[in-house]
Parts: sequence; C-alpha cells; structure tokens
Amino acid sequence: MSVETTTLPRQKASLSNAQLALCFVGAAALMTMVQYLGGLPEWLHRLPEALVPNFAGWLDTIFNFVKDDLGLLVLTRTLTEGLEWLLDASGNIFFGKRRWPNIGPIPWTAMAAVAAIIGYYLGGWRLALLGGGTMVWTALIGQWEIAMQTMSVLAIAAPMAFVIGLSLGIAAWKYAWVDYVIKPVLSVLQTLPFFTYLLPAVIFFKVGPTAGAVATTIYAIPPMILMTTLGLKKVSPEVVEAGKMSGCTKFQMLRHVYLPSARTEILVGVNQVIMLCLAMVVLTAFIGMPGLGAKLLAMMGSFKLGRSFEIGVTIVLLAVMLDRMSKAWVVKQPEHFERGTPFWKRHKMLVLGIVAFVGFTLMSLVVPIFAEIGRGQDFSQGKALDDLIKGFLSIEWVKATTGFLRAFLNVQVLIPFRNFMLSIPTPAFILLVAAFAMALAGRKQATYAVVFFSLVALSGWWDRAIITLYSVISAVTLAALIGLPVGIIAARSKKWSNRVLLICDTAQTFPSFVYLIPAIMLFGITDVAVIFSILIFAMVPLTRYTIEGLRTVPEEMTEAADMAGATRFQKLWSVQLPLALPTMAVGFNQAIMFAFFMVIIAAFIGTQDLGQELQRTLAGTDLGKNFVLGICVSLMALTFDLTIMKWAGDKKSALGL
Amino acid sequence: MSAQAPVISCKNVWKVFGDNPKRFLKEMNSGMSFDDIRAAGYIAGVRDVSIDVHKGEMLVIMGLSGSGKSTLVRCFSRLHDITSGTIEVEGQDIMSLAEKDLIELRRSKMGMVFQSFGLLPHRSVLENVAFPLEMRGQDKHTRRERAFEVVKLVGLEGREDYFPRELSGGQQQRVGIARSLAIEPDIWFLDEPFSALDPLIRREMQDEFLRLQQLLNKTIVFITHDFDEALRLADRIAIMKDGAVEQCDTPDQIVLHPATEYVRKFTEDVDKARVVHAGVLADKTATGEGEPVDASATVHEMARMLVNDAREMIPVKQGDAVIGALTRKSALDILLGAAS
Amino acid sequence: MKKMTTALTAGVLSLAPLAAMAQDSSDPIVIPIHNWSSQIVMSNAVGQILEMNGNAVEFVTTDSQAVYESVRLGDVTLELEVWEGAFGASYRAALEKGGIVDVGDHDAVTREDWWYPMWTKDACPGLPDWEALNDCAALFTTAETGEKGRYLDGPVDWLKHGQERVAALDMDFVVVNAGSAAALWAEIGAAEADKRPIVVFNWTPNFAEAVWPGEFVEFPAWEAGCDTDPAVGPNPDALFDCGNPANGYLKKAAWEGMEEKWPSAYAVLEQVSFTNPQIAEMARLVDVDDLEPDEAAEVWLEANKDVWESWVN
Repeated sequence: MSVETTTLPRQKASLSNAQLALCFVGAAALMTMVQYLGGLPEWLHRLPEALVPNFAGWLDTIFNFVKDDLGLLVLTRTLTEGLEWLLDASGNIFFGKRRWPNIGPIPWTAMAAVAAIIGYYLGGWRLALLGGGTMVWTALIGQWEIAMQTMSVLAIAAPMAFVIGLSLGIAAWKYAWVDYVIKPVLSVLQTLPFFTYLLPAVIFFKVGPTAGAVATTIYAIPPMILMTTLGLKKVSPEVVEAGKMSGCTKFQMLRHVYLPSARTEILVGVNQVIMLCLAMVVLTAFIGMPGLGAKLLAMMGSFKLGRSFEIGVTIVLLAVMLDRMSKAWVVKQPEHFERGTPFWKRHKMLVLGIVAFVGFTLMSLVVPIFAEIGRGQDFSQGKALDDLIKGFLSIEWVKATTGFLRAFLNVQVLIPFRNFMLSIPTPAFILLVAAFAMALAGRKQATYAVVFFSLVALSGWWDRAIITLYSVISAVTLAALIGLPVGIIAARSKKWSNRVLLICDTAQTFPSFVYLIPAIMLFGITDVAVIFSILIFAMVPLTRYTIEGLRTVPEEMTEAADMAGATRFQKLWSVQLPLALPTMAVGFNQAIMFAFFMVIIAAFIGTQDLGQELQRTLAGTDLGKNFVLGICVSLMALTFDLTIMKWAGDKKSALGL
Repeated sequence: MSAQAPVISCKNVWKVFGDNPKRFLKEMNSGMSFDDIRAAGYIAGVRDVSIDVHKGEMLVIMGLSGSGKSTLVRCFSRLHDITSGTIEVEGQDIMSLAEKDLIELRRSKMGMVFQSFGLLPHRSVLENVAFPLEMRGQDKHTRRERAFEVVKLVGLEGREDYFPRELSGGQQQRVGIARSLAIEPDIWFLDEPFSALDPLIRREMQDEFLRLQQLLNKTIVFITHDFDEALRLADRIAIMKDGAVEQCDTPDQIVLHPATEYVRKFTEDVDKARVVHAGVLADKTATGEGEPVDASATVHEMARMLVNDAREMIPVKQGDAVIGALTRKSALDILLGAAS
Repeated sequence: MKKMTTALTAGVLSLAPLAAMAQDSSDPIVIPIHNWSSQIVMSNAVGQILEMNGNAVEFVTTDSQAVYESVRLGDVTLELEVWEGAFGASYRAALEKGGIVDVGDHDAVTREDWWYPMWTKDACPGLPDWEALNDCAALFTTAETGEKGRYLDGPVDWLKHGQERVAALDMDFVVVNAGSAAALWAEIGAAEADKRPIVVFNWTPNFAEAVWPGEFVEFPAWEAGCDTDPAVGPNPDALFDCGNPANGYLKKAAWEGMEEKWPSAYAVLEQVSFTNPQIAEMARLVDVDDLEPDEAAEVWLEANKDVWESWVN
C-alpha cells in the first residue's frame, strides 16, 4: 500500500569515487576477457619493446656527465680519502687496524665493562646485564673482531647520519622550500631498495668500507630529518616566547631553546638512526664491507647454518642493546644533587667507567685472554647447531608438512595466481591499481597510481615488476591471515602482548638473509620459500600494530561496551576493531613496505623479479639500469604507501582520534 | 600618576591574522564587526585598541578566552607584529626597532611570565633563572649570584639545583617569576600567571605577587580571565571582548559604572562592598563632621561603622588631609544593594 | 694467534738481508677477499707470504665480478683466483680496457658442470653418464616440475646455459635457477637429510667436495666451438650440446703498476702456484675444521714450508 519512493536518477553527471573505481574494475575485467579470447592486439597487452624509452641509457649518460665532466667523481674521491681516514682511525680503536692513532684495539673486557656501566647508568641492572652480556657473548662466541669491524663503521656512519639529518631537519623546519623539496625525496629514499644505494656508493666512494659507510649513512638519514622537524615543530609556543623575551638571538634560540626542548624527538631520531645503520651496515657486506655481514655471507656461502645463526644472534643482541640503551637515553632525565656533593659523587658513573676501562686495559696486558679470545678458545657451537637444524628438518612430520605446503601452495595457489597476474594486460592492470587507490583514498592518489604504474610499464621491466608485486601481495595476504589473529589474541592480555611484541622485535632485527637458508631447506628453491621468507618480515608490523591499535582503544569505550552487555566477540567486532583499524592500516602499510624490502633480498633464493636483476647490476657498473630498477620498486611501493596512509589518516580524523 | 609620559602607549592598534592582513585592513570598511571579519577569512586578534600604561601602575587586562588579551600583551613586547597603529614603549616606536635593538630592549627592560610557565626542561631552577642573563652575555659568576638572589626573593631557596619536573605547579611558576625578574625589568608582563594553578595555591601566589610588587614597584601588565583576581590586584582594569577594549577604568568605577552591558554582566555577582573604596564615594565639595574614614577603606571594611553610625555625611581623609565626604546612604546602598 | 704471527715474523726477520734487497714501496698491497673459503684462505696465505717478504698487506672484501674493475684502477693490487668459467668474461673485459696484467696460471684446474652427491648414484647406478641420468629423470621430479626431473642451475647471471643444453640434448629435465651459491648448498643440505637424489650445478675446487662427496655428470666431451658453432658436438643443429671444459684455468692477475711499485712482491706472485689438493686442503681447514681463515693460512703455511719457501727465494 505504501508508495515506494524510487530513487530518481542522479542529476549530477559526476560519479562518486566508489562508482568510478567500479567502472575502472569493469573496464579492466572487460579488457582481460578480450585478451583471453584472443581479441586484444598485442600492443595493448604489453608495451612493445620498441616503445620502451632507453631510460637506463639516458641515466647513464647523465651519471657519466656528472661523474666525469662535472668532476663529481673527483670530489667524492677526495671525500673518500677523508672518510677513509676516519674509518681507519675508528678501525684502529675498535679492532686494531694498523693505522693512526695506533692505540687499539680496546680489549674486549674493557669494552664489556664500559657497556655494562653505561647500561647501568641509563637503565639500571637489566640494561647493565644486556650491555655487558652482549659484549661477553660476542667475545666468547669468537666474533669479537668481526663485530668490532661492524661497530667501527657504525661509530662513524651513525654520527654522520645524525649530523646531516639534524641539519637538514632544521633547514626543512626553517625554510618552507627546503621542506617542499625534501619531502618527496625522502619518500622515494625510504622506499628505494637498498641495492640501489649500494652501486652508486661503490662507484663514487670506492669499493669497501667507505662505500659501505656512505650507503649506510644515506640510508639512515631520512628518519632523523623527519624526527628533527617534528620535534622542532612541537616545541611549546610559550617556551619559544620565553626564549624571545629572554632576549635570545636567532642562534641562541636554536641552540638553547629549540634543540633542547625537542630533545625527546631528536633522541628518538637517534635511536632510529642507530637501528637503521646497524641493519644497513650488515647488508653492505654485498659491497665489500667487512664485519658481521661479510662473515654471515661467507658462512652462508659454505653452508654453515649454526655459525650463521650465531652471527644472527650477535646482531640481534647488538641491535637490542643499542635500541634499549638509546631508548633509555630518551627517557633519561637529569638528576639534581644536593649542594656540596663532591665531583666524584656527581659523576660516579663516569669515574667508575674510566676506572673499569683503565683497569681492564692494564689487566689485559698481563692476562692475554682479557685482551682477545682466539678461535680455539671460544664457545661456538656451530657444528652442534648445524646438526640440530638438520635434525629438525629431517623429522618426518616436519618434512610431511612442508612437503604438503610446498606442493599445495605452489601448484594450487601461487603459480596460478602469478600466471593470472601476468595474463592481465598492462592497461587493465594499471586501471585495477587506480581503482584500488580511488576507492580507498581518492582521485589524487588514483592519479599517482596511474602515473607511477605507467612509468613502471615504460621502464620496460613490466613482467618482472608484476612478479615482484605478486610476491608482495601473496606474502602480505598470508601474513595478514596469520599475523592478525595472533595480534588479536595477544592483545587480550598485557602479558601476552609484551611477549609477542618481544618476539616481533627479535624477528625484525634478525638479519634478513639468515631466513633464506632455512626457507630453502624447508621449501626448496620455489616461490613458497620466497614467500615464506617475506612472510616472516611482513607479519611483524601487522601483529605489532594490531596489538597496539587494540590496546590503545580508550578504556571508556570498552567499558561502555561492557555495560551495554556486549559479548567478548561483539565488543571486539563492533568497538575495538573499528577503532583500531586506522592503526592497523599503518601496520598493513608497513607490512607492504617490508615486503618490498625483503622481496629484493629473496632474489638470493632464486626469483625472476626486479630483485634478481638488481642483484645482477651490483656486480657491474650499470648505474642507469640499477636506478631504473630501484625506482620501479620505489614507485610501486609509493603507490601503496600514499593510498593506505591517506586512507588511514581520513579514517582517523573521521573517528576523531 | 599621569604627570609623567606613559611607559607603554598604544594608539589604534590592530592585529589581524590571515593571509594578507595589511591589505585586508586597508580595504576593510571601518564598521566591520569581529564576526564580519571572520566571515572574510581573517581573525581580528586586536581591534583598534588605544591604551596607556603608566609608570608604576598595574594594568590588568581581563577577558574570556579568545578575547584578544594575550594577543594584545604580545603586541606590547612585539612577540607579535601589529598590523596597524602604533605602540610606543618609553617613547620609542617598537615597530621601528631593528631586530638587534628589539633584543636589547627585551634584554634590558622587559620580563614576562607565562601561563604554563615556559620553563626549559633541561635546565635546573638556577639555570632557568639565569637564562636571560646568560643570553645577554653576563659572566657565569655574576649571573649565578643574581639568580641566587632572585630565587631567594621568590622563596625557592634550597631548590636551586632542582629540575622543573621535580617542582609543583606553584613552585614552577615561582621559577617563571624569578626568571622574569632576573634582569630587573622596568616592565613586567604576566600572562595569566596563576590560571594553571589550583585555587588555594592561586590565592597564595596572588598574595606573594602583591608582596613582590610592593617591594619592587614595577610597571605591570597583568592578564587574567578571572574577574575577582583582576579586582584584587588591579590599579586599572581593561575589559576586552572580541579584540576590542570594552572599558578601561579603576575597579571601583567598573563596578559602580559598567560602560556596557557586557561589563555589567561581569560585575553582577561581585560583592561590590569589597571593591569600592571610601575615596571613590567621597564628594569633594562636601564636608562631613566627626571622625573621618580613610580613603583606602572599602565599604566592606566600614560596614560595622556604617550600620552603627548615625551621621549622614562622613568625612574621608587621604593621609591626614580630609578630601571630602561620603553620604552614608550611598555607602549603605553598596553594602546592602540599592533599594530600587 | 698473535703469538704465532710474531713467531713467524721473527723467523723471517732472520732472513731479512734477503728481503731487504727488494725496493718495494711501503704502501700496503691490497688483496681482495671474496665469499668462498678457498679464495679467502689462499689470499691470507699469500698475504702472509708477502708479509714475510717484507711487504705491508691489507685485505678488502669485494665482489668477485666487480673486483676486476678495482684491480684495473689500482684500488686493489692483485687477484689470486681468476676462474676461467666464472670470471673469464669479466677478466677479459678488464684486460681489453687495460690496467690489468696476467701473472700466470696455478697448477690447479677448474671445472664447472652438472654435479650430484654420491647418494644419488645409489638410486641411479648408471651415473656419471648423462644418458643414464636422463633415463633416471623421474627420480628428480618435484611438485612444480611435474613429469620432468629438476636440474638446479646456478644463478641466471652466471650464464651456465643449462637451459640450452637440456634443449640441445633433448633431456627430460626442467632447469630451475638458484639465486645464489648459498641456495644451492641449502638444497643439497635439505636433500642430504633423506638422501633424496639431486642434480645441481657445482664446481671444483670447492668446499662442497669435502662436505658432500660427489661426481660431475659426464656429458659429451667439450670441443672447441661447442658454444659458437652448432655443427660441433653430437647435435648438429644446436649450441651447448657438450659438457664444459674439464680443465679450465685458474689464473692470477695484478694491477699493471704492481711490477714497478712492488717488484719483489710481483716476483713472488709470479712464482705462486697451488694445486687442486692444496686448495682443497686450505678450504677444508676452514670449512671442516672450523678455523678462522688467517689461522688456517698459518697452519697450512707451517705444514707446507717446502711448497712456498722457494717462491720467496
């Protein structure tokens, strides 16, 4: 009886984003269909070779021009000499390289004592144990010298990254145009595969530690810039005004008011610099950086699983130690002393540190074992670990499970999925990506998606790019299937949250290529192994941000849900998850970024993607090709980054968080 | 007190926030209200304010949040550049000062206290207090000595080596006050210094502040949103709304003769008897007889006498000289509320 | 370790008059280190020999392909293991550009080809003949390769032409490329657990020989032109229809300025020559006995004085 109100056809011609996205998907589906039926001309399926611009060649021309004609190489080679001098000096101090000042190496006992004292100063007994313990482990396991080779580079690269990042951060905060120029560069830098940092470093800064230090420094700069700018922007206006009213000049303002007030953010930046430096300094083994990374590669190259694992543990311990100490430094507040406290009491830790340092150094002159632990004296259990790992892998049910997974995933899921993705015509694929960006974020992001992916198509590496993307999507999907439930369950209790977060930390700091060998042993040289090794990395942020998102849902909301009589599931589904979604999206985004990072490393298993080509360029001097490949990866990663972060931001402000 | 030239004198001061405030102000027609300006995409922080602050005077600027009071005081010290009008400090147009001279002016003449203290978290009490001295390049010994002195003045002796986070809110503001006094400024700006404190402490700090003022006798511009505080402290009160000054007068006059409806609303709940002084009520042409009352006595203080006394006219003295007389009825009206 | 070095140096110092005759530059000789054990130990051994010769020596870790460019520029002074198969192309390219010189061959020969660990032979007794291998193809199947057997080739960029050989000889194999040497070892290691038959790319001298005894598959013998002329080899229409040369060279190379700058060291380098068993022994000290490379080099030098002392004199 009631009159049905029919929706009138919309008068406005413009379509909503969702409708437009749907149109794109429709068009893409249609095009793919036509392709399957054989009706699509070949030039629409893939860009003909003849049309691919010679980006690599042009880039090479530009590089050569800048390098030779403009004399950049001369400049960088001069800088190299200075840097080499620094590295040599720090090398002498840390591991006794025979260079000026010829005083090293510092005995491991002295180093361990100082680490323990710094740990105690920053965070009490637990950090003292961590600091001293890490050093003692490193020495006892027989990796002292290689660990110190790594640390000697870190000791140069991290301060350089700090100074450069801080300066650029200040500049970006002070001058809008610097900020304007720097932002897009930072986005690209943060998504560029690390292989792309390595080759130019080698060409301009000589193979070996100098190139490694440069690549490491550049890799670690972006977060320092971001944190500096963030911190300076956050300084309370009243503190600024107080400074001005105290009659500060511009420089005094910066030096005495802004920088000290932004201390927390700057120190968080320092923490990130140290962590990124450590991650990268290991990876620079590929361009001849000695140290833990090089040893790890050598161990993997001679199939010594146990020793590789031990080096991995050392790296994790060093990373955790540096991370915890620098974080403790962030929250460390100055203490006051009563009037008339004598100097040695005020600086008790400093005095203690010096005493311990001198004491152990002197002792090591008498007792050689305090200075150095030789190969024969260490406690490495490499062989035993080898047997353990091999033993585990030969257990019947392990083999059965991995065998089944390998057969099922590879044959039933991954290979068909890959073939499907490769069968989609290039324009249709670009439309699909645009539709994704449009639906989630809006027209601007969709435009970026079209431009970015068109550039990838123009680069001439389309099929390899698609295979890269296929690995990323498969791995992130699987990671979500496992990581999200783990996060949701762990978030139910504080205790489990902390435990899982600790595992996440460890999994993340474990050097990425250590995962490769077990992955191959479990799943053979197949896509499953590739996806498995990416999966471990991609799961970490997903789980972490799920926990974080759920744990930070305001208590009133969950209490309100409880009082409304919601069951646990209802509460999760209709209150906690929607509120945690923006945070989880950030985790999802990071998972994709990590996956793009790891898929490149997975080239060591054996892939046919961009990573493999990138790895090949490392051995030569194809700077142009190296860049084109790197930018392809970066463009794809950026498309996702821009889209998802925009969506998360919108969602967040819509929820009023 | 008006014999001397004003310490701060501002004329037709405008402060407009927006993309191009100068041009906007030039083209704006004069009748535009605060809301009209906002509709045009600009915010009028200060609208056409002319006000003088005299030497040794305590001017309290009172207004609700967003009324422009903080903006105005920041114009006085040129933390904000004004859009039009002139501000002179001791006869010098501060808008014409070069950066160097401005810094010099702040280093030698001005002190400011902030609502949330604005202390530097990485410096101890002593270092915070000595900060302005350090900035102007005083040597370590002298500045420490001076800082000790001021710290003692604000009653924080023995806490010199504490860090701000180790102090309570009241103590932190004492540090803020000490810092602003370290250079012995002639002009003292206080931007809602006690608003962030809880009521008991606030009262205590006001007393402390009055004690200091008696000791130092500075020229003071004091900002508050608390009308009672304004009445308690001010020589004169300027009441601001939407960037403009509604009324600027002594507390007595504001209470007795609110200039606008807006001001009247503030005065409504005030116990006028505690504000109005005998001196204000005195009719200079009249003479009473008998024992005079002191001009500085409030009606409230005279209450018992007023009720018991039978005189119609009561003489008022300032010092020893009689300056006039007040009618008992007018005083009783204030005490009991006028019979309407 | 320190003690040993000191002892050795002291021992050599007694030979000082001899060493002093050389008028070598005091700048360090830069020796590159790559990522396989035999090369690392050999470099350490030669480095120690040169130190006894009175030279300063320094080691840098470099990529094994990129190193020829560095030698050419003088960033690195010499290279002790130029493998014909693996690095011949890079070496020849550098040679053409100039700046690098040939310092002669080692006694050792190199070989790279299809290889299997011994347990594979139990399942396929006809080995090492390649036709027998092809008959056993079913033993090498995996989930992905379906009916055909899997041959695990080296990384694509090593250009080992496994694909072409399978086609040329019409074998029932699918070629899968590993991404790195480490990936090859991982596969062999996984196969070892249940003695699964496996056939992979491998080379000699290599540590793997000590860990997993095995043999190369015998393909139709290499003839010159097999890679350029289809007529050569059993299949008249295809290239790569024979095995790789079974005795490739293992060469030493140096920066062209070395002879002038360090004449005495250069003379030593010309003398240096290792045999296959010596190289295998060095690799074994590291890979099986778990010594550090510098210690392994000392141990080896100590035990083989008769081999190297003549080089120095």
